[in-house]
Amino acid sequence: MSSGIRVASLDDIPEGEGIAIDKSVTGTADDIALLRDEDGSVWALDDTCTHEDASLADGWVEGGYVECPLHSSKFCLKSGEVQNLPATKNACPHRVEVRDGEVYLFPNEAP
Amino acid sequence: MSSIIEPATGSGAGPSASGGERPVGAATAAPRGALRRPVEMNRNIDVSGLVDAEGGLLDRSVFTDEQVYRQELRRVFAPSWLFLAHTDQFHKPGDFFTTYMGEDPVIVTMDRNRRIRAYLNSCRHRGARVCRADSGATRNFTCTYHGWSFDLEGKLVSVPNKGGYPESFDTKDWGLVEVPHVESYRGLIFGTWNPEPVALREYLGDMAWYMDAMLDHDDEGTVVVGGVHKWVLEGNWKLAAEQFATDWYHVNMSHTSALTVLAPSGKPKAEIVHRTGRQYTDPNGHGAGFPVHPRNRFDAQTVHKWMDYDALRERLGEARVEGPLTNGHATVFPNFSYLPVNGSIRIWHPKGPDRMEVWAWTIVDASMPPEVREAQRLYNLRTFGPSGIFEQDDGENWSECQAIAHGFITNSVPLNYQMGLGSEREDGRHPGTTSELYSDAAGRGFYRHWRELMNTPAWHEENR
Repeated sequence: MSSGIRVASLDDIPEGEGIAIDKSVTGTADDIALLRDEDGSVWALDDTCTHEDASLADGWVEGGYVECPLHSSKFCLKSGEVQNLPATKNACPHRVEVRDGEVYLFPNEAP
Repeated sequence: MSSIIEPATGSGAGPSASGGERPVGAATAAPRGALRRPVEMNRNIDVSGLVDAEGGLLDRSVFTDEQVYRQELRRVFAPSWLFLAHTDQFHKPGDFFTTYMGEDPVIVTMDRNRRIRAYLNSCRHRGARVCRADSGATRNFTCTYHGWSFDLEGKLVSVPNKGGYPESFDTKDWGLVEVPHVESYRGLIFGTWNPEPVALREYLGDMAWYMDAMLDHDDEGTVVVGGVHKWVLEGNWKLAAEQFATDWYHVNMSHTSALTVLAPSGKPKAEIVHRTGRQYTDPNGHGAGFPVHPRNRFDAQTVHKWMDYDALRERLGEARVEGPLTNGHATVFPNFSYLPVNGSIRIWHPKGPDRMEVWAWTIVDASMPPEVREAQRLYNLRTFGPSGIFEQDDGENWSECQAIAHGFITNSVPLNYQMGLGSEREDGRHPGTTSELYSDAAGRGFYRHWRELMNTPAWHEENR
């Protein structure tokens, strides 16, 4: 079992916001958005909105969801499930662990 | 000047009026293909015969005529510097405030380089507003109609079903129309659609000396307390703008009940009723009037006690402390006005010839402790807030003037602006030209400048 990729310090991600991790680091097809909920928890989804070309890391994170900054589709932070139009496809989730203030990413592992 | 704001032409960052990567400044610069607006749609009237500034007479149709009003939007509002917001409303990229320039809706926002910019709040696709909120923080402005989305630099960054457009479609051509010049003076942000305006500071001229009496008490400048109050009044916007430029005359009559309420004995003192002072009239149409007295003071007791009048004398000089620092009124042409004594700044948004919207802020010195700020906020609210005891009197008078102004005979009878005719002079104490406290001098100056703009083709007119 892999110990994950250390991709950020917890302090790098303000609550309610996100940062994008480049695919050259994650080894995935898309960049991955690290999203920090207002309760402090950290989640990861494919960064590009499933509707149009927008970065979910630039979106609004609250109450277990991220809202796309362009057209306001919301995705569940945990499952990636799309909540409302105009997006119709779910976002791909990835597992995250926080250890000693560092954020570890497990690309393509289900949370 | 604030460091976060610069003239659009003075910065290399982003599109600017002098070298943008996309059309800026006016819808006239946008792709228009075969569109040509017939000149008959914008027929102009020679208003020379409606304003006799030298004789102090005004034709009442300037307050009521629909054609005059449409021409004002084109020739008075479009080319002039117009107040947008206070710099204290913008602290982080994405902070925004929506307002109007004339009847044009605009978004004022801080871009990613922390520069204050302003855009026409209208989608380039079907024309809906791309921001519906009064103020807030955002990362993009997305049209609610079809979802065209624009970033903080005004660029079109998302077009749903973009593949459906022809190859010639280039998002660079369809960014938000930017206000080409945005500048600030001591925290007050102004913008103009004029692609080649005089600098804001030059436009203000000697008026800046009078404004500094309110805005420059110390190095920290001013901040906004509370939100922006907005209310609708029946009445042409000029009724309010000219009154704040030129009218101390109405105070004892219009505000008699308010003055009585505020007088501890129930009888206003003679020195309040019989005041003398000066009224400044500016060649660009600005105006300011103020009583002059060595013991002039701020009305709110807590504010009065906090003010260090000796330090203010040192900084601003005796003439300002004994004049425009406290009681008084002022208008920056065309539609921005303020009252130093209670920190009220307001704009009179035109909404057709017969209606205006008043948008009013309360500003205080940034150096004021919380209890002094609160005292000033409450004092302003009680006197010149939407239900303030003075504000009510003024709104009632303007609506009264407007309500009857459409009568045919009524409308054809000239109005009198002759008080202080010929009294204008340089008084050696206050910069520029001044008249008596009770005078129509700044009113005549206001309408003289209005007449000049109304008769001057603006940059956007063909064959000018």
